[in-house]
Amino acid sequence: MQVANNNLFKRLKKRKMKDSILNSITWIVSSFGFIVLITLFIFIFAKGSKTLSFDLLFSNYSKTTYSLEKTHNSLQLFTNPKLENTYFSNIWGISLQDDKDAEGLDVVTIAYIDENSPFNQLIEKNSGATIKIKVGSQISKIVLMKEDGKTIYTIAKKGASEMVECLNQAKIISDMIITTGGGGIRGSLLTTIYLIIITLIIAIPLGVGGAIYLNEYAKDNKFTTLIRTMIDMTSGIPSIIFGLVGAIIFIPIFNKVIHSSGGSIISGAFTMSIILLPIIIKTTEEALKAIPQDYRNASLALGASKIQTIFKVILPSALNGILTATLLSIGRIIGESAALIYAIGTAIKDKAILNEKSTTLAVHIWTLLEGDNPNYEHACAIAIVILLTVLLLSISIKIVSKCFNKEKNNAV
Amino acid sequence: MKKQTNQSDITIKKSIMDKIWRYFFLTVTLICSSVIIFIVLFILIKGLTPFIKSYHINGAFYKVDFIKFIFGSRWFKNPNIYGIGFIIVNTIYVTIISLLMAIPISILTALFIAKIAPKKISTILSYIIELLSSIPSVIYGMFGMGVVTKIVKALSNFFGYQSAGGLSVLTVAIVLAIMIIPTITMISVSSIQAVKKAYIEGSLALGASITQTNFKIVLSSAKNGIFSGVILGIGRALGEATAVSMVAGNPSSGPNFHPFEATKTLTSTMLQGLTEAEGLEYDIRFSVGIVLIMLILGSNLLLNLIKRRIKI
Repeated sequence: MQVANNNLFKRLKKRKMKDSILNSITWIVSSFGFIVLITLFIFIFAKGSKTLSFDLLFSNYSKTTYSLEKTHNSLQLFTNPKLENTYFSNIWGISLQDDKDAEGLDVVTIAYIDENSPFNQLIEKNSGATIKIKVGSQISKIVLMKEDGKTIYTIAKKGASEMVECLNQAKIISDMIITTGGGGIRGSLLTTIYLIIITLIIAIPLGVGGAIYLNEYAKDNKFTTLIRTMIDMTSGIPSIIFGLVGAIIFIPIFNKVIHSSGGSIISGAFTMSIILLPIIIKTTEEALKAIPQDYRNASLALGASKIQTIFKVILPSALNGILTATLLSIGRIIGESAALIYAIGTAIKDKAILNEKSTTLAVHIWTLLEGDNPNYEHACAIAIVILLTVLLLSISIKIVSKCFNKEKNNAV
Repeated sequence: MKKQTNQSDITIKKSIMDKIWRYFFLTVTLICSSVIIFIVLFILIKGLTPFIKSYHINGAFYKVDFIKFIFGSRWFKNPNIYGIGFIIVNTIYVTIISLLMAIPISILTALFIAKIAPKKISTILSYIIELLSSIPSVIYGMFGMGVVTKIVKALSNFFGYQSAGGLSVLTVAIVLAIMIIPTITMISVSSIQAVKKAYIEGSLALGASITQTNFKIVLSSAKNGIFSGVILGIGRALGEATAVSMVAGNPSSGPNFHPFEATKTLTSTMLQGLTEAEGLEYDIRFSVGIVLIMLILGSNLLLNLIKRRIKI
């Protein structure tokens, strides 16, 4: 008896150990999702938070180039702010810095401009307008005129130190090429918004209509099953295949109808619509199913026709489902890339024109990273915008469903 | 009397309106459901063109041989050699590796959320998983390029192997695993939560510990749902395009089974170097698309058959 007891005790102890090992493995493995999310956020915010600004959101992607001139009269000498890795010109009051641009070429950027520097009041050669240059602008070429009438010039390739030396020798800039701005995402932001609006206008009525038919009209027969199977199959197809569909069906159609050449926002919207239809139908149908049959019976008994019941009773009650479907759709449109690379194109534009190629934010990221010199800073800044939107959408969906549940409980 | 006619008029009008709307809704539904037919039909037509039509490129005529296309082991734009045998093998191989990583993690995470974790942690973790599933693939691709490649590169250096900047089979598999874990986890959670309480109580009454019950009773009862989740995950892994093409490396020949060497999948082939919108190089992507659809539908069918056969 003693031996048996001992044995049991040992086995129980062994079991306990086994259990705790299994449990701790589960704890550790389950933290994987958490770790991935944290790493992703750290990576994106570390790289992108510095670049992200209102300027980035609302400025053009393409750069503006100015041809400028300036005659400097004052004898004042500026004090050096002593920034690291910069060269200071005490006559002109600016610091220059060697840098590389997005394509990996050598450029000279302005790192500092003194408050009273003549660089704050440069004159554009063509229009005569005064232009204030911002820190971060790139100087690609300077032609200077010395006091004795001789001209000297330097280009960005020779470096910042050489440029400062030249600047310090003369007081008249007869020609200076400055490139400023660029890298903004206004065009892609606008395209994304246009795409969302047009896609929703196409997809929501179709999807809601389909859901109404399937839930309110369709009889339980083979034909309905076939329709349901086909819709389910559509939702299992990867988005890149939809991209091919857009390229082969919608692009040729709209090339004829709205005279686009190649991809356009419209063809992108149609492509997105067919991606979204199964999602919208499913979400709306769930909401329709949740409406008590009594509502329909009561409405019909009061003399309303079926269609009146649908528009006045059923649809208002299913509003939460339609809203959820809309929010899900917006999230999907913002995140979609593979299909849109085919259907809209990858050319980054500054204006969103409906019948021209453009990029959404997600495709913008793809374009920035695809080349030989991936631009993580800008890509991560866009990623922050996308992530925050996705986060906001998922919270809104939670709130919508919570409000609805409350209402439902109150009604019961 | 007049009033009555009015009444019946309205009724007739109502019923006509009802009919019109009914047909309207039917039409809408037919449009929604016929999309799949158009997809398959049009891609088939365009994708089969390279095998039928000969293309005039730089003074020579090219026509793709179907057998060479399916079994070929090289993919060159110049001089127009397109074989995707190795790409199919690569795609399946990468998917299997990512599943080997994703399935255990997903099942354990699901079990943790549904049964083991304290309520607060479980709520937070399930929200994190939901969030992970809603992050767009291009962001995962960027994460793969910026973080996973560096880890893989360090790992390959540790083993004394020179990898092409970390663009490798392993990187693709890790990125894919990260992307399909939420899918499998979310479905597994709901199927674990649906396990009948009587089973669990029975197991506990027979003297099994909670952990034993979780791992032996709960998981085996939820097998069916978990398997459905895995099938969905496989579909997603095979069809994922943007993220994969950003970390694959895209070599021109293969197949490659070494975890630290670059790979080329069906989807990355379709996205790679998309410049012109006509000609053989463009049309051949549709042929790849057909193969991709076949692969996804085929694997789906096969797995569902297996699921029914072994009745798990």
